[in-house]
Amino acid sequence: MADYTKPLPVVNDLNKPHWEGAKRHEFLMQRCKECGHKWFPPFPTCTNCQSTNVEWYKSSGKGTVFSYIVYHQGWLPGYKDSVPYNVAIIEVEGVRFINNVVGIDNKAIKVDMPVQVTFEDVTPEVTIPRFKPA
Amino acid sequence: MPVSDLKDKTCIVGVGATPQGQLPDHTGDDIAIWAFGEALKDSGLKKEDIDGLIVQPSFGNLGDIKMVGHRLGLEPKVAANVGHAGQSIQFAAMLVNSGFCNYCACMYGTNQRTNRNRFAGSAYHMSGNFDEVYGLSNPGAVAAFNYRRRMKDFGATERQLGAIAVAQSKAASLNPLAVYKGPLTIEDYMNTRYVIEPLRLVDFCMVSDGGFCAIVTTPERAKALKKTPVFITGMGAQASFMELEHPRAMYHPSQVPNAKMLWENSGLTPKDMDGLLAQDAYTPNVMAALENYGFCEFGTAHEWIQGGRIELGGEFPTNFHGGQNRFSYMVGWHNTYDAVKQLRNEAQERSRQIPNAEHILCTYSTGHWQETWSVIYRR
Repeated sequence: MADYTKPLPVVNDLNKPHWEGAKRHEFLMQRCKECGHKWFPPFPTCTNCQSTNVEWYKSSGKGTVFSYIVYHQGWLPGYKDSVPYNVAIIEVEGVRFINNVVGIDNKAIKVDMPVQVTFEDVTPEVTIPRFKPA
Repeated sequence: MPVSDLKDKTCIVGVGATPQGQLPDHTGDDIAIWAFGEALKDSGLKKEDIDGLIVQPSFGNLGDIKMVGHRLGLEPKVAANVGHAGQSIQFAAMLVNSGFCNYCACMYGTNQRTNRNRFAGSAYHMSGNFDEVYGLSNPGAVAAFNYRRRMKDFGATERQLGAIAVAQSKAASLNPLAVYKGPLTIEDYMNTRYVIEPLRLVDFCMVSDGGFCAIVTTPERAKALKKTPVFITGMGAQASFMELEHPRAMYHPSQVPNAKMLWENSGLTPKDMDGLLAQDAYTPNVMAALENYGFCEFGTAHEWIQGGRIELGGEFPTNFHGGQNRFSYMVGWHNTYDAVKQLRNEAQERSRQIPNAEHILCTYSTGHWQETWSVIYRR
């Protein structure tokens, strides 16, 4: 765990509930209490109706791989030294966001394959949600 | 006033280019000024005639309208920094047509290769560092996601994608301004290393130094000038900022209403076009343009482009200047320049000239197609 060299989350007032949820092994996303729209990563206003009446909710963490790519050249610390690595667009409850697929060889990942969230306690303070084949 | 009223009301009467590639002794502003001088010579206008000035800002906080304007010693009626090549031409057409100015010079110059712009950042707009945490970097990632999805949705293959890099390489080998003129076969393509799989090195644009300038005026004023005017015949524009929230996120959704606007206002159809210069940056984007502007059916471009169809000498020459992976990384300005050269029958080497080219469509876009513009140029 002490060896985790990839970028860690920059925690701020806006995203703190997500990262605290991750420590409890819960995958929190945002939704609008006015129009019901869901999105992630967080914003202070709804990306559909711009209401500020928004809330965090615990998602199922179950979804699919909408698309994925494999980096053979890296730019970011930690990732630079771990090519080839994948980055995926995961879709959970209609919300698409960036994540990784773990527990599977890059060559075996398929578009639309079902995945579910898994939690990696990368340091004593930080837990990073990633997705594994369901 | 409907947009169709702008049809053929303005034209390009001068274009200028600097050498492309590396210009280590020049700043971005030096390069823009150089391109302006070339366009002025090309048009036969005097500097004092220029009463509209549009400059696209460039890497390193260069291209500031006040600094470029000062160094040009201009006193224009209108001066504006505009973010993009296609938008610059469209604004120039509107300004000239409305009488705000008579001769509008649009330009862009950059030395981002010499100054090592690394383009390591990601492309989606999100709060926090949710991109870095998961290893997302380089705007080419968006095109890679798009093509992966196309492979699943429509059975496209990596080999089929290679047809674009092959066609652009063939075109660049004939373009005297192109930075990379070396040949590329489909086997070479398949043997090229991945950068972000499924995209290979030659699917990515280069980073290069260079500048272009175009001068827009009315057809009446063009009569007194030395070059054959190239008319601005049709225009389309559309933005879509929904990114991954858009249902058609992987297929450049803003280009669909953009194309509808373009064809309605120009009164023309894809069949009237003699060629397409599509802003690529990454090769899959050429497929999106071919489909969204109606040259082939949605979901078929990867098949449609095979067999040399989009190569120079083929049925529908596309990116016949070499694109941004072979010609130069000039974010759309190279499209305008090369369309004008072709339509004036001046494509420098005869083997590069599209015979009797009458209409060329240029498509322009930002990083990953939140904003798109299109212009039909006519001889």
